[in-house]
Amino acid sequence: MTPLLLGILAFPVVLGLIFLRVPIGLAMLVVGLAGSWMVTGTLNPAIAQFKNITYSTFASYSLSVVPLFLLMGQFATVGGLSAGLFKAASSWLGHRKGGVAMAAVGASAGFGAICGSSLATAATMGQVSLPELKKYGYSDALATGAVAAGGTLGILIPPSIILVIYAVLAEQNIAKLFMAAFIPGILAAIGYMIVIAVYVRVWPEGGGLRPRVPYAERLRNLVEIWPVLAIFLLVIGGIYTGLFTPTEAAAVGAAGTGIIALASGRLTWDKFVAALLATASSTGMIFLIVLGATALNSFLALSHLPQEAAVWVSSQGFNPWIVLSIVLLLYLVMGCVMDSLSMILLTVPIVFPMMSALDFGLTPDEFGIWFGIIILIAVEVGLITPPVGMNLFIINSMSPGTRMSETYRGVLPFVVSDIARTAILVAFPPITLWLVWMLY
Amino acid sequence: MVAGQGGCLVFEDSSVLGRMASGFAKAMAVLGGLALIAMVVMVVVSIIGRALIWAGLRPIPGDYELVSVGMGFAIFAFLPWVHLERGHAMVTLLTDSFPKAVNTWILVVTDLMMLLTSAFIAWRLYDGTLDKFRYGETTLLLGFPMGWAYALALVGAIAFVLVAVFVLGRSLTHAVTGRSEPGRMRAEL
Repeated sequence: MTPLLLGILAFPVVLGLIFLRVPIGLAMLVVGLAGSWMVTGTLNPAIAQFKNITYSTFASYSLSVVPLFLLMGQFATVGGLSAGLFKAASSWLGHRKGGVAMAAVGASAGFGAICGSSLATAATMGQVSLPELKKYGYSDALATGAVAAGGTLGILIPPSIILVIYAVLAEQNIAKLFMAAFIPGILAAIGYMIVIAVYVRVWPEGGGLRPRVPYAERLRNLVEIWPVLAIFLLVIGGIYTGLFTPTEAAAVGAAGTGIIALASGRLTWDKFVAALLATASSTGMIFLIVLGATALNSFLALSHLPQEAAVWVSSQGFNPWIVLSIVLLLYLVMGCVMDSLSMILLTVPIVFPMMSALDFGLTPDEFGIWFGIIILIAVEVGLITPPVGMNLFIINSMSPGTRMSETYRGVLPFVVSDIARTAILVAFPPITLWLVWMLY
Repeated sequence: MVAGQGGCLVFEDSSVLGRMASGFAKAMAVLGGLALIAMVVMVVVSIIGRALIWAGLRPIPGDYELVSVGMGFAIFAFLPWVHLERGHAMVTLLTDSFPKAVNTWILVVTDLMMLLTSAFIAWRLYDGTLDKFRYGETTLLLGFPMGWAYALALVGAIAFVLVAVFVLGRSLTHAVTGRSEPGRMRAEL
């Protein structure tokens, strides 16, 4: 077998193992090792490589952003910042039709600005908003659907763990990616609010109203969330101005939310240990996949598949936009069964060079940013699509008595809004790139 | 596999060994987490030092290197806990339709793969550590011996192997006795 054929075969084999419930990182690692063995005919290069490769993959300064942002999100959760955000949003929006659900989305967007993960955002917002949504007569379907969808804002609005990983894989500038994610993130929140507004007009029994809150109280609630704004500005502003490296910004953010958690009096020793363990779980999971991807990629490099695929695609004279649409469709389908990070790590090493070879009328730098944001959104849809959308499960489990089918039904309009937004961002790259052009 | 009366099993979460494995993995994960906290404090102090150079302060020299060394220890220290708690990302869509007995044996096979992989990683890292000590390699700025940085990582790598042995024993016990493992929430971003 030629190395190229081995490289192509690696994908069905990895996917086969993954579907047989082999942990994704492990499947990639094992196939990467076996592939290198088959290409070179000996395991010796791998044996030599593994003296250093695990250490250098884990002890990476650029990837240290990942655990630090996770820690920041954990402390933000313990510190009760989600409750303040929801209270403020709800006092401004709650008296409108569907307003309490909109408040849950708005507060999720706010929490997303200090938390880089979707599941943590969905879980913490679910805790504070689901009881209120029920109190004001929102249907289980709309309540769980809106909170699950709102959770995806955690990863769209910077900081975003997945964008950090993408930046490292595709060798892109993290600061520019974060800036580029900002407008699409806001558009996502607006899109979800439009969905809610339409939903409660079509099905008026879906949502209720809460009494109007006086402006003085609204302002007071708004002032109370200043720490969120302060930390966001410090972290994102620090990265943008070059005052901090992304790692330093993440450390500052973790220190900030940690201090807030301490000051709130909620950070008991048990909660502290729980926050560390949750950080450990997510970090360990991510880095095993990163290690697997490293092993798989060094095999793919041996097989020359990434270069050959890029040459092949560009020599076929395909319409770039049709290729992009097919790729995005594949991400949407894969997202229904696989987690977003694994998809990025598994596919970007092949897909990115392939897509870069096509002409979208953008500079390589612009393409790298735009493409990163688009696939981030495409894979994130997977978090709220049945059958394995993790946000759906976690929110459903927090809402006793709600059938899974109701949550599926409730989230569907939000998925439609996601797909519409993806199409708009694909069709109009300047929406994503505008802020980057303005700032740099 | 059966030890003593009442069907008390060695490789159970509730057995002496199970509690030891869990306590050990948890302790490693918390140590790794404390290393992260130490990195946070160090980086923040360094930034303050850099901002106050005019006042005679200075950034911590080699802060990048300290972060890297801390990461190397922390990530390896997290791995046993993730494996023990079944925190790794996996796809259960297809296997959910399989009979329970098939799934318990799939778990045995994947746990064996994880054990072999963890052993391979630890074995190679051990050789890597010896190399670093042999050649006396140090970090650029601080002159911190890379051998010790590797040795810190090796602690977690060895813990990973030990915990993987327990986890394999646990799934094997379940497969042999025909029980399935209690469901755990998977981690995702």
